[in-house]
Amino acid sequence: MVLTLYGYPRSTCTQRVAMTLHEKEVPFTFVLVDLVKGEQKAPGFLDKMPFGQVPYIDDDGFILYESRAIAHYLAEKYAEQGTPLIPKDLKAKALFEQAASIEAFNYNPTASKAVFDKIFKPELTGIPADEAQFQSLMAELGKKLDIYDQILSKQKYLAGNQVTLADLSHLPYAELLSQVGAKVFEERPNVSRWINELRARPSWQAVKGGVSGTA
Amino acid sequence: MVLKLYAAPLSTASLRVAQILHEKKVPFEFISIDLARKENKEEEYLEKQPFGQVPYIDDDGFILYESRAITRYLALKYPEQGTQGLVPDIKDVKAWALFEQASSNEVANFESLARVIVYEKVFKARVGQETDLKAYENAHSQLSAKLDAYEKILGKQPYLAGETLTLADLSHLPFGTRLYLAGAGDLIDSRPNVSKWFKALKERESWKEIEKGITASREEW
Repeated sequence: MVLTLYGYPRSTCTQRVAMTLHEKEVPFTFVLVDLVKGEQKAPGFLDKMPFGQVPYIDDDGFILYESRAIAHYLAEKYAEQGTPLIPKDLKAKALFEQAASIEAFNYNPTASKAVFDKIFKPELTGIPADEAQFQSLMAELGKKLDIYDQILSKQKYLAGNQVTLADLSHLPYAELLSQVGAKVFEERPNVSRWINELRARPSWQAVKGGVSGTA
Repeated sequence: MVLKLYAAPLSTASLRVAQILHEKKVPFEFISIDLARKENKEEEYLEKQPFGQVPYIDDDGFILYESRAITRYLALKYPEQGTQGLVPDIKDVKAWALFEQASSNEVANFESLARVIVYEKVFKARVGQETDLKAYENAHSQLSAKLDAYEKILGKQPYLAGETLTLADLSHLPFGTRLYLAGAGDLIDSRPNVSKWFKALKERESWKEIEKGITASREEW
Protein backbone atom coordinates (compact mmCIF):
# COMPACT_ATOMS: atom_id res chain seq x y z
CA MET A 1 0.00 0.00 0.00
CA VAL A 2 1.28 3.47 -0.87
CA LEU A 3 2.49 5.54 2.09
CA THR A 4 0.03 8.23 3.18
CA LEU A 5 1.18 11.57 4.56
CA TYR A 6 -1.37 13.42 6.69
CA GLY A 7 -0.52 17.10 6.93
CA TYR A 8 -1.08 20.66 5.91
CA PRO A 9 0.41 21.89 2.62
CA ARG A 10 2.19 24.90 4.10
CA SER A 11 3.12 23.37 7.43
CA THR A 12 6.90 23.45 7.89
CA CYS A 13 6.93 20.04 9.51
CA THR A 14 4.84 18.57 6.72
CA GLN A 15 7.27 20.05 4.19
CA ARG A 16 10.19 18.51 6.10
CA VAL A 17 8.71 15.03 5.64
CA ALA A 18 7.59 15.59 2.04
CA MET A 19 11.06 16.76 1.04
CA THR A 20 12.53 13.57 2.50
CA LEU A 21 9.99 11.46 0.57
CA HIS A 22 11.15 13.19 -2.62
CA GLU A 23 14.86 12.72 -1.78
CA LYS A 24 14.28 9.03 -1.12
CA GLU A 25 12.07 8.62 -4.22
CA VAL A 26 9.18 7.24 -2.16
CA PRO A 27 5.76 7.78 -3.74
CA PHE A 28 3.08 9.02 -1.35
CA THR A 29 -0.55 10.04 -1.09
CA PHE A 30 -1.25 13.33 0.66
CA VAL A 31 -4.28 13.78 2.88
CA LEU A 32 -5.09 17.33 3.93
CA VAL A 33 -5.63 17.97 7.63
CA ASP A 34 -7.27 21.36 7.76
CA LEU A 35 -5.55 23.20 10.61
CA VAL A 36 -7.75 26.25 10.11
CA LYS A 37 -10.81 24.12 10.86
CA GLY A 38 -9.03 22.46 13.78
CA GLU A 39 -9.12 18.98 12.24
CA GLN A 40 -5.92 18.10 14.09
CA LYS A 41 -7.81 18.27 17.39
CA ALA A 42 -10.65 15.96 16.29
CA PRO A 43 -10.97 12.68 18.24
CA GLY A 44 -10.27 10.53 15.16
CA PHE A 45 -7.04 12.40 14.56
CA LEU A 46 -5.96 12.32 18.22
CA ASP A 47 -6.23 8.51 18.19
CA LYS A 48 -3.38 8.46 15.67
CA MET A 49 -1.44 11.52 16.82
CA PRO A 50 -2.22 12.21 20.48
CA PHE A 51 -0.45 15.57 20.55
CA GLY A 52 -2.80 17.01 17.93
CA GLN A 53 -0.07 18.09 15.53
CA VAL A 54 0.77 17.53 11.87
CA PRO A 55 2.18 15.59 10.15
CA TYR A 56 1.93 11.87 10.67
CA ILE A 57 2.37 8.99 8.24
CA ASP A 58 0.55 5.73 7.72
CA ASP A 59 3.02 3.33 6.15
CA ASP A 60 0.88 0.31 5.38
CA GLY A 61 -0.62 0.40 8.87
CA PHE A 62 2.50 1.65 10.69
CA ILE A 63 1.66 5.04 12.20
CA LEU A 64 4.49 7.46 12.95
CA TYR A 65 4.60 11.14 13.96
CA GLU A 66 7.23 13.83 14.73
CA SER A 67 8.63 15.05 11.40
CA ARG A 68 12.30 14.42 12.24
CA ALA A 69 11.47 10.88 13.40
CA ILE A 70 9.56 10.25 10.17
CA ALA A 71 12.49 11.61 8.12
CA HIS A 72 14.92 9.31 10.00
CA TYR A 73 12.63 6.32 9.42
CA LEU A 74 12.42 7.00 5.69
CA ALA A 75 16.19 7.52 5.45
CA GLU A 76 16.84 4.19 7.22
CA LYS A 77 14.07 2.16 5.57
CA TYR A 78 15.02 3.34 2.08
CA ALA A 79 18.76 3.56 2.69
CA GLU A 80 19.48 1.86 -0.63
CA GLN A 81 17.47 4.22 -2.83
CA GLY A 82 17.51 7.94 -3.51
CA THR A 83 19.97 10.23 -1.71
CA PRO A 84 21.85 8.72 1.26
CA LEU A 85 20.78 10.97 4.15
CA ILE A 86 22.15 9.29 7.31
CA PRO A 87 25.67 7.84 7.57
CA LYS A 88 26.15 4.21 8.62
CA ASP A 89 29.54 4.39 10.35
CA LEU A 90 29.33 4.84 14.18
CA LYS A 91 31.35 8.07 14.39
CA ALA A 92 29.89 9.59 11.21
CA LYS A 93 26.42 8.77 12.51
CA ALA A 94 27.26 10.44 15.84
CA LEU A 95 28.37 13.59 14.00
CA PHE A 96 25.08 13.46 12.10
CA GLU A 97 23.16 13.24 15.41
CA GLN A 98 25.22 16.17 16.68
CA ALA A 99 24.23 18.22 13.62
CA ALA A 100 20.57 17.19 13.94
CA SER A 101 20.61 18.26 17.58
CA ILE A 102 22.24 21.57 16.65
CA GLU A 103 19.33 22.22 14.29
CA ALA A 104 16.77 21.28 16.93
CA PHE A 105 18.25 23.41 19.72
CA ASN A 106 20.41 26.15 18.21
CA TYR A 107 18.30 27.00 15.18
CA ASN A 108 14.71 25.75 15.31
CA PRO A 109 13.49 27.46 18.50
CA THR A 110 14.55 30.95 17.40
CA ALA A 111 13.71 30.50 13.72
CA SER A 112 10.26 29.07 14.45
CA LYS A 113 9.42 31.75 16.99
CA ALA A 114 10.46 34.47 14.56
CA VAL A 115 8.35 32.98 11.78
CA PHE A 116 5.37 32.49 14.08
CA ASP A 117 5.53 36.09 15.36
CA LYS A 118 6.15 37.62 11.94
CA ILE A 119 3.92 35.51 9.67
CA PHE A 120 1.53 33.09 11.36
CA LYS A 121 0.35 35.10 14.37
CA PRO A 122 -0.61 38.16 12.24
CA GLU A 123 -2.42 35.82 9.84
CA LEU A 124 -4.32 34.20 12.68
CA THR A 125 -5.07 37.27 14.78
CA GLY A 126 -4.89 40.24 12.41
CA ILE A 127 -2.52 41.97 14.84
CA PRO A 128 0.58 43.23 12.98
CA ALA A 129 3.96 41.72 13.82
CA ASP A 130 6.26 43.38 16.36
CA GLU A 131 9.20 44.48 14.19
CA ALA A 132 11.55 45.16 17.09
CA GLN A 133 10.92 41.70 18.48
CA PHE A 134 11.63 40.20 15.04
CA GLN A 135 14.92 42.06 14.70
CA SER A 136 15.91 40.92 18.17
CA LEU A 137 15.24 37.29 17.24
CA MET A 138 17.18 37.74 14.01
CA ALA A 139 20.13 39.06 16.01
CA GLU A 140 19.94 36.00 18.25
CA LEU A 141 19.75 33.67 15.25
CA GLY A 142 22.62 35.58 13.68
CA LYS A 143 24.91 34.73 16.59
CA LYS A 144 24.21 31.03 16.09
CA LEU A 145 24.70 31.34 12.34
CA ASP A 146 28.09 32.95 12.97
CA ILE A 147 29.10 29.62 14.45
CA TYR A 148 27.51 27.75 11.55
CA ASP A 149 29.64 29.93 9.26
CA GLN A 150 32.78 28.81 11.11
CA ILE A 151 31.80 25.15 10.86
CA LEU A 152 30.85 25.48 7.19
CA SER A 153 34.16 27.13 6.36
CA LYS A 154 35.85 23.81 7.11
CA GLN A 155 33.33 21.34 5.68
CA LYS A 156 30.58 21.37 3.08
CA TYR A 157 27.68 20.38 5.31
CA LEU A 158 26.84 20.40 9.01
CA ALA A 159 27.79 16.78 9.69
CA GLY A 160 30.78 16.61 7.34
CA ASN A 161 31.18 16.61 3.58
CA GLN A 162 28.01 14.72 2.73
CA VAL A 163 24.53 16.19 2.88
CA THR A 164 22.35 14.72 5.62
CA LEU A 165 18.85 15.15 7.03
CA ALA A 166 20.35 17.65 9.46
CA ASP A 167 21.03 20.11 6.63
CA LEU A 168 17.67 19.61 4.92
CA SER A 169 15.82 20.15 8.18
CA HIS A 170 16.72 23.84 8.10
CA LEU A 171 14.92 24.59 4.87
CA PRO A 172 11.28 25.12 5.81
CA TYR A 173 12.04 27.99 8.20
CA ALA A 174 14.92 29.32 6.09
CA GLU A 175 12.51 29.71 3.18
CA LEU A 176 9.94 31.60 5.26
CA LEU A 177 12.56 33.85 6.80
CA SER A 178 13.89 34.80 3.38
CA GLN A 179 10.32 35.53 2.25
CA VAL A 180 10.02 38.17 4.96
CA GLY A 181 13.32 39.77 4.02
CA ALA A 182 15.61 38.35 6.71
CA LYS A 183 19.24 38.58 5.64
CA VAL A 184 20.76 36.33 8.30
CA PHE A 185 21.78 33.69 5.77
CA GLU A 186 22.99 36.00 2.98
CA GLU A 187 25.20 37.99 5.35
CA ARG A 188 27.40 34.98 6.10
CA PRO A 189 29.35 33.65 3.08
CA ASN A 190 29.58 29.97 4.00
CA VAL A 191 26.04 29.82 5.40
CA SER A 192 24.82 31.54 2.23
CA ARG A 193 26.57 29.05 -0.02
CA TRP A 194 25.20 26.14 2.02
CA ILE A 195 21.59 27.27 2.27
CA ASN A 196 21.35 28.30 -1.39
CA GLU A 197 22.65 24.95 -2.52
CA LEU A 198 20.10 23.18 -0.32
CA ARG A 199 17.26 25.40 -1.54
CA ALA A 200 18.13 24.53 -5.14
CA ARG A 201 17.63 20.81 -4.56
CA PRO A 202 14.73 19.42 -6.63
CA SER A 203 13.21 17.89 -3.49
CA TRP A 204 12.85 21.35 -1.95
CA GLN A 205 11.63 22.93 -5.16
CA ALA A 206 8.92 20.25 -5.25
CA VAL A 207 7.50 21.16 -1.83
CA LYS A 208 8.37 24.78 -1.13
CA GLY A 209 5.13 26.10 -2.55
CA GLY A 210 3.08 23.58 -0.63
CA VAL A 211 2.91 19.81 -0.35
CA SER A 212 0.90 17.55 -2.64
CA GLY A 213 0.95 13.80 -3.23
CA THR A 214 2.96 12.02 -5.89
CA ALA A 215 1.26 8.64 -6.07
CA MET B 1 42.54 6.39 26.61
CA VAL B 2 39.71 6.93 29.08
CA LEU B 3 36.76 8.96 27.78
CA LYS B 4 36.83 12.55 28.98
CA LEU B 5 33.59 14.30 29.94
CA TYR B 6 33.78 18.09 29.90
CA ALA B 7 30.69 19.13 31.83
CA ALA B 8 29.18 21.33 34.49
CA PRO B 9 28.15 19.45 37.65
CA LEU B 10 24.50 20.51 37.62
CA SER B 11 23.84 21.31 33.97
CA THR B 12 20.81 19.43 32.68
CA ALA B 13 22.56 18.34 29.50
CA SER B 14 25.64 17.27 31.46
CA LEU B 15 23.50 15.15 33.79
CA ARG B 16 21.83 13.56 30.77
CA VAL B 17 25.19 12.30 29.52
CA ALA B 18 26.57 11.35 32.94
CA GLN B 19 23.56 9.14 33.60
CA ILE B 20 24.13 7.15 30.43
CA LEU B 21 27.85 6.74 31.20
CA HIS B 22 26.62 5.09 34.41
CA GLU B 23 23.95 2.99 32.69
CA LYS B 24 26.45 1.70 30.11
CA LYS B 25 29.28 1.38 32.68
CA VAL B 26 31.70 3.43 30.61
CA PRO B 27 34.80 4.58 32.50
CA PHE B 28 35.23 8.34 32.28
CA GLU B 29 37.31 11.23 33.54
CA PHE B 30 35.22 14.22 34.64
CA ILE B 31 36.61 17.65 33.85
CA SER B 32 34.48 20.25 35.57
CA ILE B 33 33.65 23.38 33.58
CA ASP B 34 32.85 26.43 35.68
CA LEU B 35 29.98 28.21 33.94
CA ALA B 36 29.94 31.08 36.43
CA ARG B 37 33.53 31.87 35.47
CA LYS B 38 32.60 31.43 31.79
CA GLU B 39 35.13 28.67 31.20
CA ASN B 40 32.80 27.49 28.42
CA LYS B 41 33.39 30.74 26.54
CA GLU B 42 37.18 30.55 26.60
CA GLU B 43 38.97 30.08 23.29
CA GLU B 44 40.31 26.66 24.24
CA TYR B 45 36.79 25.44 24.97
CA LEU B 46 35.25 27.00 21.88
CA GLU B 47 37.75 25.19 19.69
CA LYS B 48 36.12 21.94 20.75
CA GLN B 49 32.51 23.09 21.30
CA PRO B 50 31.99 26.17 19.12
CA PHE B 51 28.55 26.98 20.58
CA GLY B 52 30.14 27.37 24.01
CA GLN B 53 27.73 24.91 25.64
CA VAL B 54 28.24 21.98 28.00
CA PRO B 55 28.89 19.09 27.80
CA TYR B 56 31.21 17.60 25.23
CA ILE B 57 33.19 14.39 25.21
CA ASP B 58 36.66 13.52 24.00
CA ASP B 59 36.60 9.80 23.27
CA ASP B 60 40.23 9.06 22.52
CA GLY B 61 40.44 12.06 20.21
CA PHE B 62 36.87 11.88 18.89
CA ILE B 63 35.12 15.10 19.94
CA LEU B 64 31.32 15.03 20.21
CA TYR B 65 28.80 17.50 21.62
CA GLU B 66 24.99 17.79 21.97
CA SER B 67 23.93 15.57 24.88
CA ARG B 68 21.43 13.46 22.94
CA ALA B 69 24.00 12.77 20.20
CA ILE B 70 26.47 11.69 22.89
CA THR B 71 24.02 9.36 24.64
CA ARG B 72 23.07 7.70 21.34
CA TYR B 73 26.75 7.27 20.47
CA LEU B 74 27.42 5.59 23.83
CA ALA B 75 24.40 3.29 23.51
CA LEU B 76 25.43 2.27 19.98
CA LYS B 77 29.13 1.93 20.77
CA TYR B 78 28.59 -0.28 23.84
CA PRO B 79 25.65 -2.52 22.97
CA GLU B 80 26.87 -5.50 25.02
CA GLN B 81 27.65 -3.83 28.35
CA GLY B 82 25.56 -2.17 31.00
CA THR B 83 21.81 -1.67 30.61
CA GLN B 84 20.48 -3.33 27.48
CA GLY B 85 17.98 -1.92 25.01
CA LEU B 86 18.55 1.79 25.62
CA VAL B 87 18.30 2.11 21.87
CA PRO B 88 16.56 -0.52 19.72
CA ASP B 89 18.41 -2.82 17.32
CA ILE B 90 19.41 -0.57 14.43
CA LYS B 91 18.20 -3.28 12.00
CA ASP B 92 14.67 -3.06 13.41
CA VAL B 93 13.59 -0.06 11.39
CA LYS B 94 10.13 0.26 12.95
CA ALA B 95 11.35 -0.07 16.54
CA TRP B 96 14.01 2.52 15.82
CA ALA B 97 11.38 4.83 14.31
CA LEU B 98 9.21 4.59 17.45
CA PHE B 99 12.30 5.40 19.51
CA GLU B 100 12.94 8.44 17.29
CA GLN B 101 9.31 9.48 17.70
CA ALA B 102 9.57 9.34 21.48
CA SER B 103 12.90 11.18 21.44
CA SER B 104 11.60 13.91 19.18
CA ASN B 105 8.57 14.27 21.44
CA GLU B 106 10.81 14.77 24.43
CA VAL B 107 12.56 17.63 22.67
CA ALA B 108 9.56 19.31 21.05
CA ASN B 109 6.71 18.62 23.48
CA PHE B 110 8.43 18.34 26.86
CA GLU B 111 11.78 20.07 27.18
CA SER B 112 10.82 23.14 25.19
CA LEU B 113 8.07 23.88 27.71
CA ALA B 114 9.68 22.54 30.89
CA ARG B 115 12.68 24.74 30.12
CA VAL B 116 10.54 27.90 30.19
CA ILE B 117 8.92 26.89 33.50
CA VAL B 118 12.28 26.20 35.13
CA TYR B 119 13.84 29.36 33.69
CA GLU B 120 11.03 31.59 34.90
CA LYS B 121 10.62 30.12 38.36
CA VAL B 122 14.06 28.81 39.33
CA PHE B 123 16.79 30.48 37.33
CA LYS B 124 15.39 34.00 37.43
CA ALA B 125 14.85 33.84 41.20
CA ARG B 126 18.47 32.76 41.62
CA VAL B 127 19.80 35.75 39.72
CA GLY B 128 17.35 38.19 41.26
CA GLN B 129 15.17 38.71 38.18
CA GLU B 130 11.39 38.89 38.17
CA THR B 131 9.33 35.96 36.87
CA ASP B 132 7.29 36.64 33.73
CA LEU B 133 4.07 35.14 35.08
CA LYS B 134 2.38 35.11 31.69
CA ALA B 135 5.22 33.14 30.08
CA TYR B 136 5.21 30.76 33.04
CA GLU B 137 1.45 30.16 32.94
CA ASN B 138 1.46 29.77 29.18
CA ALA B 139 4.19 27.13 29.33
CA HIS B 140 2.51 25.42 32.29
CA SER B 141 -0.84 25.06 30.57
CA GLN B 142 0.76 23.90 27.32
CA LEU B 143 2.88 21.32 29.13
CA SER B 144 -0.21 20.15 31.00
CA ALA B 145 -1.92 19.41 27.67
CA LYS B 146 1.14 17.54 26.41
CA LEU B 147 1.27 15.45 29.58
CA ASP B 148 -2.38 14.49 29.05
CA ALA B 149 -1.16 12.86 25.83
CA TYR B 150 1.73 11.20 27.73
CA GLU B 151 -0.85 9.87 30.24
CA LYS B 152 -2.76 8.16 27.41
CA ILE B 153 0.38 6.72 25.83
CA LEU B 154 1.68 5.39 29.16
CA GLY B 155 -1.70 3.83 29.84
CA LYS B 156 -1.11 1.50 26.89
CA GLN B 157 2.61 0.77 27.21
CA PRO B 158 5.17 0.98 30.03
CA TYR B 159 7.68 3.20 28.23
CA LEU B 160 7.50 5.97 25.66
CA ALA B 161 8.95 3.95 22.79
CA GLY B 162 7.12 0.72 23.68
CA GLU B 163 7.87 -2.18 26.00
CA THR B 164 11.50 -1.33 26.78
CA LEU B 165 13.16 1.51 28.66
CA THR B 166 15.11 3.69 26.21
CA LEU B 167 17.14 6.89 26.15
CA ALA B 168 13.90 8.65 25.27
CA ASP B 169 12.49 7.98 28.75
CA LEU B 170 15.72 8.78 30.63
CA SER B 171 16.14 12.03 28.74
CA HIS B 172 13.21 13.48 30.67
CA LEU B 173 14.96 13.30 34.03
CA PRO B 174 17.05 16.48 34.05
CA PHE B 175 14.19 18.89 33.32
CA GLY B 176 11.51 16.66 34.83
CA THR B 177 13.17 16.77 38.23
CA ARG B 178 13.63 20.52 37.97
CA LEU B 179 9.88 21.00 37.48
CA TYR B 180 9.58 20.12 41.17
CA LEU B 181 12.05 22.87 42.07
CA ALA B 182 9.84 25.26 40.12
CA GLY B 183 6.80 24.22 42.15
CA ALA B 184 5.28 22.53 39.10
CA GLY B 185 5.71 18.91 40.18
CA ASP B 186 1.93 18.48 40.21
CA LEU B 187 2.12 18.32 36.40
CA ILE B 188 3.65 14.87 36.88
CA ASP B 189 2.17 13.85 40.23
CA SER B 190 -1.43 14.49 39.23
CA ARG B 191 -1.27 11.96 36.39
CA PRO B 192 -1.09 8.35 37.64
CA ASN B 193 0.60 6.76 34.60
CA VAL B 194 3.06 9.61 34.14
CA SER B 195 3.77 9.67 37.87
CA LYS B 196 4.47 5.94 38.09
CA TRP B 197 6.73 6.07 35.02
CA PHE B 198 8.67 9.09 36.24
CA LYS B 199 9.10 7.79 39.78
CA ALA B 200 10.69 4.59 38.47
CA LEU B 201 13.11 6.59 36.34
CA LYS B 202 14.12 8.76 39.31
CA GLU B 203 14.84 5.70 41.43
CA ARG B 204 17.37 4.21 39.04
CA GLU B 205 20.82 3.96 40.57
CA SER B 206 22.33 5.84 37.66
CA TRP B 207 20.19 8.88 38.45
CA LYS B 208 20.56 8.69 42.23
CA GLU B 209 24.35 8.77 41.86
CA ILE B 210 24.36 12.07 40.01
CA GLU B 211 21.13 13.86 40.92
CA LYS B 212 22.96 16.18 43.31
CA GLY B 213 25.58 16.89 40.68
CA ILE B 214 28.41 15.17 38.86
CA THR B 215 31.26 15.10 41.31
CA ALA B 216 33.82 12.55 40.27
CA SER B 217 35.50 10.61 37.53
CA ARG B 218 34.77 6.92 37.41
CA GLU B 219 37.66 4.84 36.15
CA GLU B 220 36.17 1.46 37.07
CA TRP B 221 32.75 -0.18 37.26
